[in-house]
Amino acid sequence: MTPGDSLWRLTWHRFRRSKLATFALVYVALATLIALFAPFLASSPNTIDLGSRLLPPGEGHYFGTDDLGRDVLARMIHGARVSLTVGFFATFIAVLVGSFLGAMAGYYGGAADWLVSRVIEVVLCFPFLFLLLGIVALFRPSMLTIMIALGLTSWTNEARYVRGEFLRIRDVEFALAARASGARDARIIFRHLLPNALAPMLVSASFGVASAILTESALSFLGLGVPLPTASWGSILSTAHEHIEYAWWLVLFPGLAIFTTVAAFNIVGERVREALDPHSE
Amino acid sequence: MTTYIVRRLLYAVLTFFGITVATFILIHSVPGDPISFFIGRAGLNTIPVAVLDSIREEFHLNDPLPVQYLHWFRAAVTLDFGDSIVDRRPVRDRVLEKLPNTFILNFIAFTLAALFGIPIGIWSAARSGRFAERASAVGFFLLYSLPSFWVALLLMQLFSVRHDLLPLFGMSSDDYLELSAPARLADRLKHMVLPVITMAYAQLAIFARFSKSALTEVIRQDFITAARAKGAAPVAVYWHHAFRNALIPLITLFGLTVPYLLSGSVIVEQIFQWDGVGLLYIDSVLTRDYPTVMGLTVITAVATLLASLVADILYAFADPRVRLGEKA
Repeated sequence: MTPGDSLWRLTWHRFRRSKLATFALVYVALATLIALFAPFLASSPNTIDLGSRLLPPGEGHYFGTDDLGRDVLARMIHGARVSLTVGFFATFIAVLVGSFLGAMAGYYGGAADWLVSRVIEVVLCFPFLFLLLGIVALFRPSMLTIMIALGLTSWTNEARYVRGEFLRIRDVEFALAARASGARDARIIFRHLLPNALAPMLVSASFGVASAILTESALSFLGLGVPLPTASWGSILSTAHEHIEYAWWLVLFPGLAIFTTVAAFNIVGERVREALDPHSE
Repeated sequence: MTTYIVRRLLYAVLTFFGITVATFILIHSVPGDPISFFIGRAGLNTIPVAVLDSIREEFHLNDPLPVQYLHWFRAAVTLDFGDSIVDRRPVRDRVLEKLPNTFILNFIAFTLAALFGIPIGIWSAARSGRFAERASAVGFFLLYSLPSFWVALLLMQLFSVRHDLLPLFGMSSDDYLELSAPARLADRLKHMVLPVITMAYAQLAIFARFSKSALTEVIRQDFITAARAKGAAPVAVYWHHAFRNALIPLITLFGLTVPYLLSGSVIVEQIFQWDGVGLLYIDSVLTRDYPTVMGLTVITAVATLLASLVADILYAFADPRVRLGEKA
């Protein structure tokens, strides 16, 4: 490493020093690939075979079958699509909304800052599951509704990070120089200031994906997520709840998938945070 | 101090307005007005237009939106959210009768989580940099990533299905009314074990993480270095100087956990069929019991608001910098 290395190379270098985090990153990449190529990896998740209902794991069905004789492994591989799509897109919406409002608040200060801060306070008052279920109750649940609802209710962390970063750097020399040279506000915000807020946003986005995946699976578990028969990890667990006295495999495998994926995103986020923190190590 | 509290109260009133406006906007962002929404759901398309218009008139639906909002707001302030469309009873009564069941579960889970979580956090902060600290940090993270409904199902498998130790769901056994008073208590407690564990474990991880970082933060401060420099025993530095100051940020956490607990109640009460507001909420969402859904949304948001208000005021009492007006 040389002193001229960029922040990203430095961060990557420090990130890799944690074996656990590197493994988590590989796991995240693998899960994403499985979601992308699901149709090539597994047979149809909706093939009903009433002759082989609730079969325990064994030859032909490595993770067993559900109450309609559908292959659990195939449903899990296709369920990865739902989880990761919702996770990434909901977070994308949250980052867009959060960074825009945070940037406005931090850059203009005064009334804009006051207003955005009050809006954040109001959003944080709603217990997130109540707000989400309320939205899903009013509008028909679909993957799109869930992504938008999740995105529009979870942008507050991003907004606070960007606001804080903007308050810190808006009067630093390079920003003043841009202003003195006649740059418009939009150019200063997007070209000069926002890139500086990217690093903390990456951390918050990683945690965001984890919590979006967790929330989506909770909604599906409660029967208010992505509508059936689309396979999702949460809805397999919902079937497991109905057959709890018998079908342990319906509980074990989809739950493990949710847990490991969420944990991997959390571990990656935490490690990026540490790697970006000049005070750690 | 007084100015701080007054200002905090004013903001709380403002946030309350925000909560009601947000809920009102949510209701009205649904395509069509509430009447046609209900008619469509109920399939009552044969009702004459004149009748619909008189209903609209009665519920002020022909007024401009701000006027409608004022009507709704006036009712909401007195917790009057109308009648449930399921059993025609006032939403307020339905919520109030379920509240104790939710409260008892949350109270026990919260207490247990604090009782175990805070000492674990302190312990791991004391082992800063050592293996135990890093291992416990990863452990908190894993606990935090566990979906509560999965944990609940695993617990049910283990304790109710494999080994018939605890009831699978419900709040009491079928023969509850015939039992003696102590047996009733035992029966109730047995039904609480699994829901309480499910609610408490994630809370515990949050408490542990938070108290650990609060303590680590305090230990970095100059006055700790000063205490060490004057020769205070390490144990005294830790308990007398550091721990007391680390407790202050924990007050904030007590305020922040309320919305988490309420959200957790929805899942836990649904799985264990625990008859509280969480189960009421999910049932209302599934039956599209619109007044109950909106009423509970406002009530839980106000509960969160009050909790954070109380936490902020307690914080002001605990932190001398705020109390003496240095940092208002």
